[in-house]
Amino acid sequence: MSKSAVPCFHCHEAVPDNCNFMVEFDGESRACCCPGCQAVADTIIKQGLSDYYRFRSKPASKADAVPAELQQLQSYDHPDILAELAVLQGEFQRIELSIAGMSCAACAWLIEKNFQADTAVKRVQVNSATSRCELIWDANTRPLSEILNSINSLGYQASPFVADAEEESFKKEMQDYLKRLAVAGIMTMQVMMLAFGLYFGEHTGIEAQYEGYLRWVSLLLTLPVMAYSAMPFTKSAYRALRQRELNMDVPITLAIYYTFIASLYATVSDTGDVYFESVCMFVFLLQVGKFFEFRARKQARDATSNLLKIMPVSAELWLDDRTETIPARKLKIGDVILVKAGETIPADGIVVSGQSSVDESMLTGEYQAVTKQTNDLVLAGSNNHDGILTVRVAKALTESRLGQIIQLQQQTLHQKPALLEKTDKIARFFVQRLLVVATATFLVWYFYLDESRAFWVTLSVLVATCPCALSLATPTAITCALAWLNRKGILIKNQQVLASLPKLSTVFFDKTGTLTQGKFSIEQFTVHHPDFNETQLLQLAAHLELRSEHPIAKAFLPHLQGEIQLQDVELVVGNGLQALWWHQTEWRSVRIGSASFCNVSQSAPVCMTVDNKLVATITLSDAIRPEVESLVKKLRTNGIKMAIITGDSSANAALVANTLQIDELYQGCSPEEKVAQITKATERGETVLMVGDGINDSPCFHAAHVSVALDSGTDLSKNQADVVLLHNDLTALFQLIEGAQRARRVIKQNLIWAFGYNLVIIPLAVCGFVSPYIAVIGMSTSSLLVVSNSLRLLKS
Amino acid sequence: MSIIYVLIPIALLFVMIGLGIFFWAVRTKQFDDLDKEGFSILFDEKNTEQKSKPPKHEL
Repeated sequence: MSKSAVPCFHCHEAVPDNCNFMVEFDGESRACCCPGCQAVADTIIKQGLSDYYRFRSKPASKADAVPAELQQLQSYDHPDILAELAVLQGEFQRIELSIAGMSCAACAWLIEKNFQADTAVKRVQVNSATSRCELIWDANTRPLSEILNSINSLGYQASPFVADAEEESFKKEMQDYLKRLAVAGIMTMQVMMLAFGLYFGEHTGIEAQYEGYLRWVSLLLTLPVMAYSAMPFTKSAYRALRQRELNMDVPITLAIYYTFIASLYATVSDTGDVYFESVCMFVFLLQVGKFFEFRARKQARDATSNLLKIMPVSAELWLDDRTETIPARKLKIGDVILVKAGETIPADGIVVSGQSSVDESMLTGEYQAVTKQTNDLVLAGSNNHDGILTVRVAKALTESRLGQIIQLQQQTLHQKPALLEKTDKIARFFVQRLLVVATATFLVWYFYLDESRAFWVTLSVLVATCPCALSLATPTAITCALAWLNRKGILIKNQQVLASLPKLSTVFFDKTGTLTQGKFSIEQFTVHHPDFNETQLLQLAAHLELRSEHPIAKAFLPHLQGEIQLQDVELVVGNGLQALWWHQTEWRSVRIGSASFCNVSQSAPVCMTVDNKLVATITLSDAIRPEVESLVKKLRTNGIKMAIITGDSSANAALVANTLQIDELYQGCSPEEKVAQITKATERGETVLMVGDGINDSPCFHAAHVSVALDSGTDLSKNQADVVLLHNDLTALFQLIEGAQRARRVIKQNLIWAFGYNLVIIPLAVCGFVSPYIAVIGMSTSSLLVVSNSLRLLKS
Repeated sequence: MSIIYVLIPIALLFVMIGLGIFFWAVRTKQFDDLDKEGFSILFDEKNTEQKSKPPKHEL
C-alpha cells in the first residue's frame, strides 16, 4: 500500500494498489477503496443525492464490506417487537433510530432526502448533533426492516432506539431553558429601553405623569421575568431553605426579590428609584451561564448512551416443528431457541445441538472467540459467529450474566467517592455572613442612623455583594474548560471529574481494547514453500477469510486486494476454511485454519496448506496501541502510579505490563474483583482514574473517582463513563489532566477576585457610600471580569 | 408626548407576537439541530439546478 495513493472518493482513506472500484461522479470516474464504499457511493449518486459529496464538511466513515443482512433486520418487523420499539400514532408508527457513522450535517440531509420521495414515510427528521432520526411512517406498507436497510445502503448503521426517561426529561428541559432565556432576554431589552428614558428624564426633567407611566410599564414587563425566567433560582432556593441549608441560589433569589420589591414599592408609592432593568439583566445573565452549562451536559449525554443495542431484542423460539419470533424479554427457563450465525444470543443457556464459535468480548473483554458445542454454556449478549446453535434457556434475560453486570453497575452508581463540592461550601460560608451583615446594616441604620435611608442602604449592600461574580466563578470556568476539551475530542459527562483530576495519583488501565488495539493483527507471516511468495499468499488468505465472521478473520482484511478465483468455499465451524483456488492452470485445494484442521504439526495458531502441503504459518497478536508508550512515560514523570486490571489470566497480560513497565498488575479479575481492587485503592486515599472499554469494566467505573471510556468501546461503557475519548487516542488522557489543572487555576483566580471585590465593597456599602446605581455597575463589572477570565480557557 | 400612551402598548403587542413565534419555534423542535438547518439552504438551492444537470452528461 503506497502512501501517495489517491484518497477514496467516499471515505477519503487511501485507495490500495491493484484495485479497481470506480464510481461515476459529475462525468468523471472516481476511485473507491473497497466494494463497500463503492456500493454506497453508487447508491447515493444514483438516487440523485450527489449534492452530499459537494457540501459535506467531513468525509464519510468507511462503509462496511458486509452490511447487516436483511434477514437479520426482519426480526424487527414482528408486531410484538415493533410494539416495544415504536409508538402508534393513528395509522402511523413513530420510532426513534440511532444512526452510527454520521460525521456532519450533510449526512443528516442525505438520510432525510432519501425518504422524502417515499410515500409510506410521513415525516423524517435527522438530528446531526445527536445522531438520531425521528421517523413517522406506515408500518403496513413499508416494514421497518426495509427502512433500516435503506439507511444501511447509504453507508450508515441504523438501529431502533428507546430513549430512557432521563433523556426525555433532558429534551424537555432544553426547551424550557430556551423559552426562559428568550423571555428574560427580550424583556431585558424592553425594560432597558424604558430605563434609558428614565435616566435621561432624571437629567433633563420629566413630567411626573410620564415617569409614573414608564415605571408602570417596566413593572409590567418585569413580571414575566420574575414569575417565569427566575423560577429555577427561586425553586432551588426554596428547596434549600426548607432543608435548612444554604446554597448559591438563596442570596441570588434574595437579591432579585429584594430589588424587585423595592422597585415595586417605589413605583406604587411614587418615591425613590426603580431598578427593574437590573433585575431583568441579572436574571438574563445568570440564565445564560446556566444554559451553556446545561447544553454542554446535554451534548455529552447525547453523544453516548445506547443501551438497547447490546440488549438482545428478539429471539427465535422453537415450537415443535417451526420457529416463532418473540421479544427476548418474554423468554422463559426451559424454552428452546434457535440462534443463527451473526445473531446476538438472547439469553443465558445450554447448547442443545450445533457447533459454533462465539464472541464473548462484550462480557469478558477478550476478543478470542470461544468454541461452543453441545452442553456448553452460552451467555446473553454474546455474538454467534459462524454456526447455528439450538439453545435451552437457563436464565431469563434479566437474570443473565449481562443483566447482572448491568445491575451491579446500578448498585455502584451511588457509591461514587465524591470530593465535597467546594463552591457549595463557600456559598454556605459566604451567604450566612452576608445575611448577618445585611440584617445588621438595616437594623443599625433604622434605629441609630437614618431611618429613611435604611431600606436603600441595605439594598446597596445586597446588590453590591450579590454573589453574582462568586456564583459565576466556578460554572463559567468549568463550561469553558469543557468546551476546550470537547474541541480536543474529550467529552466530559460529569463535571465533578475536573475537581478530582488535578489530585490524580493512580491510573488503572484495562488491557484488551484499551492498552491494546482490541483486534488481532498479523504479527508474523512465514512462508514454508518456495513456489509461493508472501504477497500472493496473504492475498489468498484475505479473500478466504472474507467469508468468515471470526475475529481472527478481520486481521486479514487490510490485505484484501486484487481478484482471485475461488470456488466451493466452505466454512468448517471452529476450525477454518477450505476452498478451490484457480492457480496458474489448475484448481488447487486450499485450507486455512488451525493446525489440526490443516493436518500439519505446527504450533502456530493459523496454518495454510495448498494441496495438503504446508505453505505458510501465521502468528497473530493483539498489538499495543502506538501512543501508549509516550503516555506511560508522561504519566510516570508526573509521579502518577499505573496499574493494569484485566480479566485476561494468560501470560500475555504480564508481557504487556513488562513491556510498558507498569507498576502493578491484577489479572484474571471478574467485574466484581475489579470493583473490589479499585475500592481498595480509593480507601487507601488514592485518587483513582479508570480507563476501560468493555461491559466488564463498566461496574468499576463508579468505584473510581474518574472513569474514562474510549469511543471504540461498548455503548454500555460509554454510557457509564465520566469521560469519553472520541478520537480513541489515549494521549488525550494527558490533555484531560492538563485541562483540569488549567480550570482549577482559573477558578482560583476568579474566587480570589470575587472575594477581594466583596471585601472592599461591603464596608463601603454598609457605611452608605455606595448608591444602588454604583452597586449595579460594580456588580456587573465584577461579573464581566470573571467571565472574561474564564474565557481564556477556550484558547489553547 | 402623550403619543407614548399609544406607541408603547403597540410595541408591547409586537413583543408578545415575537415571543409567541419563538415559543412556537421551540415547540416544533426548530432549535434541536442548528448545524443541519445551516446546511439546508445550500442543498435546496442546488437541488433545482441538479434536476437539469444529469441529462447534459448523458449527451
